[in-house]
Formats: sequence, structure tokens, C-alpha cells
Amino acid sequence: MNLNKIFVLLISAAFVFQSCSKLDTPPTDSIDPSKAFRNLDDLNMGVLGAYAPLSYTLIETTAIVSDEVMLPTENTVSNTATHRWLYNSSYGSVTSAWNEYYVVIDRVNRVLEAVPNIPVNAGSQDRLNQYHGELLALRAFAHFELLRAYASTYDPNGNGVPYMKKRALGYPARPTVKSNFDDINDDLKAAKGLIPAGFSTNTRVTKNAVSAIQARVALYEKNWDNAITYASEAIAKEPLAPKNDFSKIWTDNSQAEVLWQLARVAGDSRIGSAFFRETGEIVLYAPAFKLINLFNRNDDIRFNAYITYNQARQDNSGGVKSAYLVKKYNGADAKYFGLAPIKLFRTGEMYLIKAEAELESNNTAAGITAATKSLNDLRDARIFNYTSQIFNDKQSVLDAIYNERYKELAFEGHRFFDLKRRSLPVVRTAQDAINTSGALKLESTKAQYCFPLPADEVAVNKNITQNPNY
Amino acid sequence: MTLNGYVKKSYLQPPFSKEILKKSTAFSLLLVFMFQAKASVAATDNVQGATTAFRNEIKALKMVKGKVVDEAGNPIVGAVITIKGRPSGVTTIHDGSFSIDANEGEELVISHISYMPKTIRVDQKNDLTITLQLNVNNMEQVTVTGYTNYAKSKSPSASTQISAANINKVPMSSLDQILQGQVPGLSVISSSGQPGQSASVVIRGIGSISGSSAPLYIMDGVPVEGGYFQTINPEDIESVTVLKDASAKAMYGSRGSNGVIIITTKTGKKGKLAIGYSAQYGISTLTQPTFEMMDARERLRFEEEIGLETGRDIGPGWRFSPKNPSYPTQSSAWQQNANHILDSLRVMNTDWRDLFFQKGNFMEQQLSLSGGNENIQTYNAIGLWKEQGIVRETGMDRYTLRSNTNMNYGKFTAGINFNLGYSASRFTYNEGGTGVGSPMASVYYALPYEYPYTADGAFYATDATRPFYDTREGSRGIDVLYGTSDKTEQIKTILSVNMAYEIAKGLKISTRAGIDLRNSADQAFINPLSYIGSKQAGQKGSFGEGYRRNFNVVSTSGITYKKRSGLHDFEVSGFLEYLYNNYRAFSYRGFGLDDRLPETPAGITVSTAFLPNLGGSRSNSAMVSYMGVGRYTFNNKYTLTGSYRYDGASISSVPIKNRWHGFYSLGASWDVKQEAFLQSSDLISVLRFRASYGQTASPFGSSFAYLPTYSVSTSYGGQPAIKPNNIGNPNFDWEFVDEANIGFDLSLFRSQRIKIIVDLYNKVTKNMFIDQPLSATSGATSAPLSTGRMGNKGVEFSLSGDIIQNNNFNWNIGANAGYNQNKILRVTDVTDELPDGDTRIIKIGLPYGTYYAPKWAGVDPTTGDALYYNRDGTITNVYNEEQQSVPLSASMYPKLTGGITSAVRWKNLTLNALFSFVSGVQRWNNIDFYIETERYMTSNQSKRMLYDRWKKPGDIATLQRIDIPRNFTSKDIQDASFMRLRNLKLNYSIPSALFRKTIFKSADIFIQGENLFTWTSWRGLDPENNRQYGRFEYPNARKYTAGININF
Repeated sequence: MNLNKIFVLLISAAFVFQSCSKLDTPPTDSIDPSKAFRNLDDLNMGVLGAYAPLSYTLIETTAIVSDEVMLPTENTVSNTATHRWLYNSSYGSVTSAWNEYYVVIDRVNRVLEAVPNIPVNAGSQDRLNQYHGELLALRAFAHFELLRAYASTYDPNGNGVPYMKKRALGYPARPTVKSNFDDINDDLKAAKGLIPAGFSTNTRVTKNAVSAIQARVALYEKNWDNAITYASEAIAKEPLAPKNDFSKIWTDNSQAEVLWQLARVAGDSRIGSAFFRETGEIVLYAPAFKLINLFNRNDDIRFNAYITYNQARQDNSGGVKSAYLVKKYNGADAKYFGLAPIKLFRTGEMYLIKAEAELESNNTAAGITAATKSLNDLRDARIFNYTSQIFNDKQSVLDAIYNERYKELAFEGHRFFDLKRRSLPVVRTAQDAINTSGALKLESTKAQYCFPLPADEVAVNKNITQNPNY
Repeated sequence: MTLNGYVKKSYLQPPFSKEILKKSTAFSLLLVFMFQAKASVAATDNVQGATTAFRNEIKALKMVKGKVVDEAGNPIVGAVITIKGRPSGVTTIHDGSFSIDANEGEELVISHISYMPKTIRVDQKNDLTITLQLNVNNMEQVTVTGYTNYAKSKSPSASTQISAANINKVPMSSLDQILQGQVPGLSVISSSGQPGQSASVVIRGIGSISGSSAPLYIMDGVPVEGGYFQTINPEDIESVTVLKDASAKAMYGSRGSNGVIIITTKTGKKGKLAIGYSAQYGISTLTQPTFEMMDARERLRFEEEIGLETGRDIGPGWRFSPKNPSYPTQSSAWQQNANHILDSLRVMNTDWRDLFFQKGNFMEQQLSLSGGNENIQTYNAIGLWKEQGIVRETGMDRYTLRSNTNMNYGKFTAGINFNLGYSASRFTYNEGGTGVGSPMASVYYALPYEYPYTADGAFYATDATRPFYDTREGSRGIDVLYGTSDKTEQIKTILSVNMAYEIAKGLKISTRAGIDLRNSADQAFINPLSYIGSKQAGQKGSFGEGYRRNFNVVSTSGITYKKRSGLHDFEVSGFLEYLYNNYRAFSYRGFGLDDRLPETPAGITVSTAFLPNLGGSRSNSAMVSYMGVGRYTFNNKYTLTGSYRYDGASISSVPIKNRWHGFYSLGASWDVKQEAFLQSSDLISVLRFRASYGQTASPFGSSFAYLPTYSVSTSYGGQPAIKPNNIGNPNFDWEFVDEANIGFDLSLFRSQRIKIIVDLYNKVTKNMFIDQPLSATSGATSAPLSTGRMGNKGVEFSLSGDIIQNNNFNWNIGANAGYNQNKILRVTDVTDELPDGDTRIIKIGLPYGTYYAPKWAGVDPTTGDALYYNRDGTITNVYNEEQQSVPLSASMYPKLTGGITSAVRWKNLTLNALFSFVSGVQRWNNIDFYIETERYMTSNQSKRMLYDRWKKPGDIATLQRIDIPRNFTSKDIQDASFMRLRNLKLNYSIPSALFRKTIFKSADIFIQGENLFTWTSWRGLDPENNRQYGRFEYPNARKYTAGININF
């Protein structure tokens, strides 16, 4: 019968079909670890991969928990418990930065592992050094951000954060703040020695940016001499923006005084969305009246660069909607509202670091004079018709520096930590606290004065200690 | 249309044949064609009929001739015909015919072992056609495993078969949903009330944590994807067999551990052409949840109370309240206006459910054609299904084609099964989402004094251009509901070809090949004219499409030798199998749409200002297997079975060193009824014991999970970057399941009136995948380990009894249930407990899915504080999740599932009911978190927030003082047990006497209701949902349908 033949054919076809080589199906959509970092171009991709997770989480969170913003009545959509200081270790708003920066650190360490294996020649050694330096600087910066957010205090014997010098599947305990500062300084020093002076892309860590990071670290470490040295280095390379250019910094029409910023392109998360929800046109958090009232609205170029004033918005809504909006992060393109590079280091901050360090490092009139000069230099660059001020005592200079930091660095992630540096309470005015059910003052003794470590971390890592009172 | 049946019924009425012809023309073209071919035969037959009728006028002992057929009209061979009161009888021959001498008035008794006996009185008629009903109880059942077909009495396997009648009873579009409540040990929980959505199916308890716990589905020998039953018409299914124990599962080796569901589609029967037509129409409606939202009056009062208690302005109820301290300071005109505003708001009472939900229409039509001759039989069917969801703009349409052909040429047999289906589903945007603008959440967030349209008919999604007193949260939902569309079109082909050839007696070679090919096209459109469209990147809507293609190939070849000699009966088979899977996906999303070109990529602007997104993926995997199975039966009493399968997986699953692994099973069964001491028992008609043990494995959740790979799915400043994907584990191995099963079948009384099936099992998952949570300092959140061990043991039973059994009245009740006890036996080398998500814990000794939360201690009557239990039992008002969380005696996986059926038949009327129940299951009701919280009290809240909130010292209240934050505690873990009247169907079989003049062979009309009642204490929307939390899901609908079933 004919069928017999057909059948034999089919059976044999079936056997041929089933060859064993069919089992060797290589990965199609992922890269084998052996091929991840083959050369300098791959290494560069790795470095960029380490920049990629850096975000504005801490800028947003610290604004919400500080006296920089107020909760307007129109915000009926946010979880406002963070603003009311009701957070604990299960609040992602205050704990997510913990994971975010350790992801950066892990990526850095993976790429650092590959650095010695990358073939280089004399012509490409500089590139390798640059990547190597960037990685070390990023590692230092990420740990420093963790330290700012999660250290129990900035005193040397406070509880710091685990410093990951290489990647490891471990359950590390918390070293002291002092040990963190030492490690951060080591990495920054090494980075500075590696990054070529000619490398000037301000969306990545340049040599100058390392100076700026060092200055800020020194400020928190209260190493005043270093703070002055590094701030001065940064100022020397990148002077303050001319008045005409200042507002253009925020619309990306000027790169003046930007020491390091995180690049943002269409499709990336938008920092402006932290303060304004485009869908529904809701002001989530408005500039605090406390802050607004500190500005000389007419002459201070920062007011119009940072804050939108729109009285009609309020009047047209029966008084419910906020007349003031955060303008700093509106971005350059109205089609992509809120898409703006995230400014991490500016020369303005360097002047204020320098002023504070000069004041603290020298307890004589000379200290006050030096500090006053740095402060006046900055104010003169920001305020039309400015006449230099004179201070007689240290405290008033310090207050002036703090107020200036409040204004100059508004919504840039500094205020809350500046208060923490000196154990000052967060104080809101009654006008700013209308919707906070009484959240007017956060004493430095309260648990919420420090961010909690994530509950998951504490549950998994038995060696780690939670911040006090959580 | 059964030719012979018609002829036999109509021969006494020759004058009517023309009328029939006329009627037939009213039918569809196809039917007319079929009928005309037949009518000409009928006409000639009528002549003969007239002559026989004439002859029958002589009343005397005469020869009665006839034919015995089954319900499909096929001849029954071996039926015994006796005359009541006389000892001897005759037997039907190959074509079912018989002849016997009888007197008019005497009664013929027709009996056959597999059919219900029938008695008929001899009258004038000769040439009788006697249709016997299948006696399901007595049928020699076969356990279908996909590789073997052992008689049930010779199979040690614990399996349950669902017949077509029970599958078609429930009017649901997805096969897995239909199985709910019908198989002991099978838990079926729907994932959504969206028409066509698949359910979560678990057999004998969850066997894996990080791996898959879904069973393997085999349709006509081809492995088909679980979760994609939208394009498979349940009406085409002849039977579903659920394989639960190792003796059957081990034949599927590394894919079998979660159980196997074998789907067999209908085949044509030898004999006449049969045409079936069925149609049903119906409506779906929304069921009511147990919580209630505030109406306008209540809401305004609530706002005023909050203002008084906290000073917070959460709405006009306080803003314009005379009790507001600023009220007396305002002008009298302002005050008058304020009073007027409150009065107007109070009478606006929008029921948002009316705006988001609808009564959905439902329609199903199906036409089947089957028949064949000795050599070729075929079954062909087309089906049409149109269902509107209860949420506006949702629904599913389906078109299916099924064509099965079987060939049988002596030693050569073959079959071709072909299924082609198309479905188009319309989903609701962001189901289960809690954000403002998710339509399903907006229903509850919306304030009762909000209305999306102003008096002039204009729609306002926000208050940006015009002030409103409400938050516009309902209107935002309406905007999204109508301004977006989310559709999936699916085309699925399942094709299988099988052939077998008997080389020598008992020796058969066979081969089988099949493909399962699915193409899904997803489309998401956001109208540029809608409000949400204006908030897309580029501010002019978006349009995205995704194509997903899944391709499975299976090829199985084997040889089987069967022999029976004397008391020995054995069967051995060897198979070689190859499986290949290929998946590819592609998607894009474009922006800057032109509103004149909706729902098409042609409307997209491609430029740097409107940068489209692209995505896609590829993956493939393969498996080669060698297997041997055998059975030996002694004296029809004792059976031993064994199987061994050696699986080799492709490197996407395991590292090469762990590629090959063998899986085995051993089974034994004892047919006690065959023993001499039971053979004569009238009480016990069936008694069988079985036992089996074996090892299987379950498939891997993801490809290359063991390899620490990198991906380039990240960028910085627009430049390409690389990042690590996962940590990997070079020692990754299979997840093995050892399972032991013992059970018995017992039927009582000759007619098997009472049937009991009981099985006990013990299942242990070894080498279980566990995601070990890591310290964040490692850069990853978890590492994949295979160190866990988990046990599932349980008991299953099914019981059915004919309570009343007589000619006119029948009542059968059945119950089935599976009780499963799950326990974590081992976690990792370093720890005995791990957090599982943020609400559960994996801990040795506790069931998987155990919730972990601080215990709620109520509200302090004096202060209104929320109280929590510390671990030491003391009560505090300070919430601390880390320090207070304890494992609750509550798990998200049910302990007890089952169903109860009742079938009552009175003459031609039958009433079928199916109840399904799930017990010992708790879910996290997250809805309370949104509708009973001070955080979101600017949105509408439940009535309890007004009436049952602590307001003053001494209040015994459920909810705390308004300014106390609401935290996650044991009170959010709520009992989600339920019992549901899944289906109630009233069917009337039109007596053949009524239509003997017409062309139908049988006709039924029915009405039915689905989900008519649900008994539950669950406070969320629907207790039946497999998500870990209850949020704003698409609830299962209540459905009423009416229809007809006609066979020609």
C-alpha cells in the first residue's frame, strides 16, 4: 500500500527534525557577561549606564519635607503624609533613594572590575583614565548622597552607610560617618588624578566637578580649609553667570556656572513633575510663602527665574488654586513640560560653601570679613542695585549665609540637609501649613528628622541598624 | 440532519412532505442545499411507507423490525431485545437492526450495557427506530493522557474528565473559567470580569514560588499556551481531562508538575450527516459591592465635619458652611450665594456607576456539521460570539472555525485537527489602577455632586478653564473612558496531524505533529482631542501597537506493542519528542496624532519633537525527550504501570551541566470488583484502588535567569548605555516535584446510583526557586536560588448520587471538593524566613502566601487613636511595621475549593445548578485604603467615614480620628471566601411529538443565569480575583441568557 511509504517517510522526517543541536539556543535579547565590556566603547557604555539611574528623588523629597514648599488646597491627588512628617520605613518616598544610589554604586563597581582588562595604547590611555576617574567620582558622589540622606547625624561617630568598594552579595553593617568621609575623599582624590583637565562635558563628572563635590563634602565634614580650597578651585574655573544669563540657565540657553548636571532628553523622567502635575494641571507643591517673602521680588533675578506668580490662576478658581508655582524646572520645551537637566553643582553654591567655611575656619574679624565678601560677591551677581552689606557678628553672617542658601539653592535639594547639618528644626509658617493638619515644626530630635532605611533592608540585612526612633 | 430519522418519523404522513420542503427553504442557503438532497430521498421513501402502513392494519402476531441507534443516530450493535414476560430475545446486528415476532400490545424491552434500557409497546408501526440514551454511569471510561489510553479500571491515575455537556453548560468564553467548580482539586479564580479574560488555574495547591504554577494544556496532542483561550470555542470541545497525579503527569516530565489538562475536541461520527445549530442571547449586569460611597448630602456633611474637626478645607461643604469661622466675616451677598451653592450641590446626586457601567449585550451562534462513512469522519463547526462588557467600551467578539477529520483505512489511521480563531477584545484603561483618571477607580473617587457635563452639554475634564466645586475626578475618568481605547486582536491556529500504522498485530507505530501559532495585535490609542491626549508627550495624543507572535511546535513519534495472552495483558510504548518555542514581539508608540486619522499609525508625526518609542523582543527554547511507558495487567485485576522520560532542555532554561534529567513514575491499581467475592454483589458495583508515585518538574519562569547577563535597555542623555540584567546563579537547576497519590473509586447499586471518588496526595517541591531578597548594597533586590522546599498535601473527593430515579422525574446531586494544605518546608541555607512582597512572609511551617502585618487593635474610644498590637501583646498607638508585623493565620491561596451540582429533570424540563465555592482564602483589600483614609479624603469616601468614624471621646468607632494616618494592618487582610451560584439553567426539550412534522431531530430551549448569587463577607468589589490585592478591578458580571439548541 502506498500509505506505507508515506508513513515511513513521515516517521523518518520526524526523527531528522529532532536533532540535538536544536537545544543550543543562545541568548537573543541579552548580552553574555563575557561580552559586556570588550573595549573602551563598551566601557563608556558602562559609565553611561552608571549615570543613567541618577535622578531627582532626593531633590523632590527634601523639598517636600522641608520649608521650601507648601501644600496647596488644589492638591487632592498626592499622598501628603510625607509632607506632614508621618513617614516610616515603608514609605517609598523617603526610602527609594537608598536603592537608587546603591544601584549606581553596583554598576560603577562592575565597570571598575572591567577597567584593568580593557586593552589600551598610549593614545587611548587618557580615555581609560577619564572613565576610571568618572567611575570613582560617581561612587563617591553616590555614597555621599546616601550619607546626606540616611546618616543618623553628620558627626564623625554617627551611623553612616555601607561603603561598597567592590560589588558583593553581603549583608554589611553601618560604618561611622567618619569612615564614610574618608572613603569618599579617597575616591574623589583618585578621581581627580585620573580625569584629564581637558574633559569638559558638564553632563558628566569633570575634574572641575570633582572639586565641587570635594567642596560640598568638606562642608558636611566641617573640614573648612578643604572646603575653601576646593570651592575656590571650582570658582576659578567656572565663574558666576552674568545677570543676563542667569535665567537662561534654567531654560538651557546658557551653560554658565553649571559644574555638573544630569542630562535629560525626551522620554526621561521630568523633574518638573515633582511640583506640578500636568495632567489635571495641579500644583502639587507650591513655593513656601516663607521662601517667597525672603526675596526682593523686583531686583533679585532669582525670583523670576525660580518662581511663577500668576494671581489670575488663583482668582479664577474661587481662591482654591495656588498663585505661586515652582518655575525652576519648567524646562525649555512646553511640549515636554518639566523636562529639564538636573543641576547638581553650580558656582553659586561654591560661593556659599566658601563663605561658610571662611566664617567657621577663622574665628576672628578676618573670618567675618572674608565670609561677608564671598556672600556679597554672590548677592551682587544676583541682585540689581545691590549694596554690599556689613555684618558685625558671626551669627548674623551665618544666618545671612543660611538665608542665602535657602534662596539661591531653593528646590535643589539642599535646605533639609542644611538644617540637618546644624540640627536646626524645620519650621513652617502658619500660612504655609494650612493643609498640613498642624505639621508646623519638625524638631531635630524626632525620628523623621532623619530618613529611615527601607524596611526591606532592615528585614533582610540583620547587620544593619535602623535610624533612631523608627 | 438525520436522513433516516426523518424518514422513519414521517412515513405515516406522506401529504406533509411538501410542507416540510417549503419550510426548509426558509433556512439558510447551506441548510436548503442539505435539505433538498434529502427531501428527494424522503419522497421515494414515503411510497414505501404508505404500503407498510396498509399492511399493518392486520392485527396478529407479526414480525417487528427495527433498528437501535444512539443519540447521534449511529447503530448500536449487541443490544438485546426481549418481550416482556417471555424468556428469549434477539440481538441487534452490525447495522443495529433486529427483527422479532411479537403481538400488538406487547412490550419490547431493549437493553445494552452502555445504554439506559427502554421499553416500548408494539403497535401498528413496524420498522421501528429506537434511540437509546447513553448510560454515563456504565460507560467503560478511558483515562486519556495524551500518550496512552488505558481503561479506567487499569489505570492508577487520579484524573477527572469533564464531558461536553458540562463544558457547554456555562456560557463563558474562556475554557479555563468554565472548569471552575467542576474538578476536585482544581482551583480556578478569574483574573478579571473583562469578557474573555483567562483565569488563574492551580491544581492541587501552588507548587512553586518563583517558577510557574500554571498547568500544562494539551489540545489534541499539541501543547497550547495557557491563558490564551479567547479564540477557542468551548462548544467544540468533547472532553477535558485533568491529570493530577504523578503516574500521568510524569509522561510530561519537566513540564508536568503543575498538572496537565488534556483537551479533546469533537470528532465526526460514522453515519448520517448531523447538523447542529445553537444560539443564545443575553445581557450582563453589574453586581453590587458590599461597601457604599457617600451621596451628595453625606459628602457635604463630611466636608463640614472635617473642617470643624481639623480646620482643613477639603471641599465646598466646609468652604461655604455657615459653621466656617470665615462665614460670618463675609458679606451677606456672599453668604446668600454660599447657601445657594450648598443647596444646589446637595441635590446633585450623580450615580457614577450609571456613567461608567452598562448592561452588556451578549450573543452566541454556532453551527456544526458532522458525519462520515466507514473510512472518513469529519466534524466542522463555525462559531460566533459577541459580548459587551459591563464596563462601557469593553467587550469581546470572536469567530471560530474548527475542522476535525479522522481517517481509518484498516491498519492505517490518521486524524487532522484544525482550529482557527479570531478574537477582538476591548479593554478598559488601567484596570485595577488607583490613579486619578483610571476609569474603574474614578467610579468611586468621583464626588457625588460632580457631573461631567455642564447644563449646556459641554464636557469639562478639569477645572483648568472653568471653576468647579468638585475635584473633577469622575470627569477625568469619563475623559479617559471615551478618549482612549485599548484593544487586542488575536489570531490563533492550532493544527495537529496524527497518524498510526499497525505493522503487525498489536504493534503500532505512530507519529504526531502539531503547531500552536498565535498572533496578538495590541492597540492603544489616546485621542488627541481628549484631555488625556493633550497630556501625552507632544500633547497630541498617542497611538501604539504591539505584535506578539508565539509559535510552538511539537513532534512526537513512537511505537506501541500491546498483547494479551491468557491472564496477562500488557502494553509498552516508546516515544521520541521534540518541542520548540519561538516568541517574537514588536511594539511602537507614536505621538503627535492628527485627529482626522484616529486609530491608525498614519496619524503619527515622526520628528524629533514627536519621538516615537520602539520596543520588541525575541526568544526561543527547545526540548528533546525520550520516553518509555508500560502497563501490565494480570487477570483484569492487578495493574502495574511505569514511565520514564528523559528531558533535555535548551540552554535558555538551565546551564548545560544541568541540561538532561530523567523523570519517572510508578503506579498500581486493583480492580476489586473483578474479585470473586464482589462479583455477585449488588450493592457494590465498582470498587477500585490505586496508588502512584513519581517525579516531575516545572518549567522555568524566565529565559537565561541563571546567567548574569547585561542589556542595553538604558541610555543616558540619549546615548546608548549598558546595565546588568540580573545577578544569575550558575547552579540553577530544575524545580522537582515528588508526588504520591492513593485513591479509590466506589459505586453503589447496580445502576451505580451513588458514586464516590476519593484521592489523597502528598506533593513535595524540592530545589524550589526562591528569590532571596538582598541587601540593596548588592545593587539588586533579589538573587535567584533553588534551595526551597514546599509541601502540598490534601484530599479530594467527588460524590454524586441519583436521589430520585424514575421515568418522569430524576434528581441528581453532586459535590466535589479539594482540600489542600500548603507548607513551606525549607527556605534557604541562611534563613528560615523571607519577606514575600511587602505584605506576606515565606516562613518554614507556614503556608505559602501567609500575610505578615501588624495586628489591628481597634480605635481608642477616649482619644480616637488607631491602636496596634506590639509583638508582646501590648497595645500601642504608635505604628511600627518592622517591629509589630506578625504572620497572620491568613493566606492568599485557598485551602478548600469545589463545587456542588444539582440536576433535576421532570419530563422534558431540566433544571441544572452549579455552585462553586472557595474557602480559607484571604486577600488584601486595598480599596479600603483609598476610600477610608484621610490621605485621599478630598476624593469621595465610603459611608463608614461619615457614620463610623471616631468623632468625640466615648465613641466606639471602626475608623480612627480623622487626622490619624491609615496604616496597613491585619484589618486590611480580609476573608475572600465565597460561594457562588455560578450557573442556573432551565432547559426544555421540545417533545418530539410536537415537531415530528418538522425537520428537527431534537430541539431545546433554555434560559440561564450566571453568577446569580454570591455569598461572601468580602468588602471589596468581587471576592473572585486572583490579584494579590483587591483594588478597582473589573468585577465579574451577572449574566442572563436565553437560547436554543437544535439538531437536524
